[in-house]
Amino acid sequence: MVSQRDKELFRDDVRSRGTRLSAVDREKILNPYLPDPADLPSRAPQRRKKIPRKTPIRSFIKSQLHLLTYAILHVLYGIVIRLFQSYHAVVDRIFAIIYYHHRTPQLIRKDVTSLKRLPGHLSVVLSLRKEDDALAILMDEVAELAAWTSSIPTLHHIMTSKLSSYYGTPGQQPTLQLFAPHHPIFKQPEGVALSNKGNPTTLTVLLLSATDGRETFVDLTKTLAEMSQSGKLLPEHITLELVDAEISEITTRPTTTVSVDGATRAPNQLILPVKPEPDLLLVFGPFLKLDGYPPWHIRLTEMFCTGGRSSGIAIADEAVEYHGFLRGLWHYAGAQMRFGR
Amino acid sequence: MSTSTSLSRFRKWLLASPPIEFAISQVRDLLVGALRQGPMPQHIAFVMDGNRRFARSHGIETVEGHNLGFEALARILEVCYKSGVKVVTIYAFSIENFKRSKFEVDALMEMARVKLSQMAQHGEILDRYGAKVRVLGRLDLLRPDVLAAVNRAVDMTSKNGDCILNICFPYTSRDEITSAIRDTVADYSAPLSSTRSSSGSPRTPFCETHITQNIRAQALNTTNIKTEDLPSDTETASASSGEGGGPKPTPNHVYENGSSFSSSSTLHLPGQQENNSNKPPAASETPGSDSSPRKEPPIFLSPESITRQTLDAHLFTRDNPPLDLLVRTSGVERLSDFMLWQCHEETEIVFLDILWPDFDLWHFLPVLIGWQRRISKSKKNPDAEGNFDGGPGVSDFPEDEDVVVEKVKDL
Repeated sequence: MVSQRDKELFRDDVRSRGTRLSAVDREKILNPYLPDPADLPSRAPQRRKKIPRKTPIRSFIKSQLHLLTYAILHVLYGIVIRLFQSYHAVVDRIFAIIYYHHRTPQLIRKDVTSLKRLPGHLSVVLSLRKEDDALAILMDEVAELAAWTSSIPTLHHIMTSKLSSYYGTPGQQPTLQLFAPHHPIFKQPEGVALSNKGNPTTLTVLLLSATDGRETFVDLTKTLAEMSQSGKLLPEHITLELVDAEISEITTRPTTTVSVDGATRAPNQLILPVKPEPDLLLVFGPFLKLDGYPPWHIRLTEMFCTGGRSSGIAIADEAVEYHGFLRGLWHYAGAQMRFGR
Repeated sequence: MSTSTSLSRFRKWLLASPPIEFAISQVRDLLVGALRQGPMPQHIAFVMDGNRRFARSHGIETVEGHNLGFEALARILEVCYKSGVKVVTIYAFSIENFKRSKFEVDALMEMARVKLSQMAQHGEILDRYGAKVRVLGRLDLLRPDVLAAVNRAVDMTSKNGDCILNICFPYTSRDEITSAIRDTVADYSAPLSSTRSSSGSPRTPFCETHITQNIRAQALNTTNIKTEDLPSDTETASASSGEGGGPKPTPNHVYENGSSFSSSSTLHLPGQQENNSNKPPAASETPGSDSSPRKEPPIFLSPESITRQTLDAHLFTRDNPPLDLLVRTSGVERLSDFMLWQCHEETEIVFLDILWPDFDLWHFLPVLIGWQRRISKSKKNPDAEGNFDGGPGVSDFPEDEDVVVEKVKDL
């Protein structure tokens, strides 16, 4: 902690662009704040052996005091966190009752109409749980999220059934596209769609996993290294734009189209290009950890963690719930965008 | 209005009075000492956001806001290093920031130059505490005088190494990843020098014939014990002698599949077939060039040996511990192109709704305690969510070894 007098001296010096004080003066100001070099733990252990500790009892008491403070801090923190958790649990329940979707898209639409802006590309980080039916839970979560999102997509069948529980007859359902990197796109059977479509919206679901993160860059580097070795490319040609284009290609444009009957055909007009950078990233978890979400596209993405705003409020297992989803959208609508200027 | 100003003046006076100042500094020391007792993150990154908004809201000049931001940085660095953090990375200037007004950019550059050259005057103190300063980013975008100051400061402290301060100066993460890819490609497209290839004969840790002999002997032993199923045993013996050089076919197979370019695959195959010792694919850098003539095209490292660790080693943060904690102030919940590669796996990201010049130990303390709490919990219960001790990602080689082990077991 720097005293007020030294702070003023320092600021005077800064205002005059570092000309007022000489190097010796500065060291004189600095010296009282520097720790004793003999106390430093790891530097030059052989020197420390020579100099015996000056005050063994005092340093022992000091370390005990630190331990005690550490314990007290953590106990206090634990109590505060528990209080916050119970408070948030109650508030969450109330929200869950007030804002329930009742499986009707109209209600969901009503919940979001008042918002100033909505993300064009929403990303959600879900984690596989430890239970036996973890995969089923995960697929269910994806389907729920897709259904919520569309009112403002093995999985395909679950999603269709979910969507039909929201929208009723297939004619009312939005067009659904489902794909993952390196896999062809998967679409609804054409029979129902197109002819009597009551709902023109198209929803594209991109399924990513942690292997699409760093491994994608490794694959790209391998390919580029091979090209460079065979003399087809110079390392200088690798620019940010090239990498951006290659990485975006994988996550935005599926290679081929596969409909339910398994027939492969060329990508047609119906496939909308996906905006590569998500606007909002929802993390359903106690604290914000990206869990290997592909790094390239999240530089300007707003992040929202349902576990709580400050780092501490941690609920053990955060379920994917509608009000958490809604809170993320609210948060996004309230946030301002400033692009580096 | 007048009461509030007089109250704040009184508060300021009280806080600046020597006994209070002393007490506060004692409390700070106590808290920092207490933090030391638990696990501490080894690598923390800060996005120093909010200097300009602070200046605007307090009616001072933008440059003055940046100066206050620097003081806040000094306070936080003191807390970090005293409590046992090894590496601190700060986002000082983005490549995008060059778009700001020329006046502000110049002021920031001037500030960096002054601070760095002042620091260079105190080399002795820096040496005594083992502080190491590094500047990460596109140094070629800097003004020559700033670049000179940067180079001097970095050179002076390059031999110290206890505490590291990474200053991301003109930096964006995409640029860092791109240059890591470019450097890796450049490394791999440099042909291996002929002196290195001819220096030693291919390494053969185990003798193939010896292994087959051993297997034969074992098979004989088993046949001695149970005499009735002799034919099946000889079958397995022959099969296993085929498997004796087990790992050998696998790498070749990998290369044939992996390299889609005909020229590169022809480059690799002769080398591989010659030194058919049982080597993991990573060891393919010793090409078997004993019999191959000089006129052959140059020999490269195999691109298949590129892993995420290779890319890690080409990033700016190559020899730092993994990023444990990323703190961004001012309530903006974006990464803004900072440490994307480093923070997208196990890092905890914290967004604080406070402007950077106000940021102090009191706001940082809950973050650190929360982190310590989670770490000690995850150590007690490794299966719980939030486990930070998950090892490095599954690389290809251990898998291959597993396969080999499986095969051996099948024998």
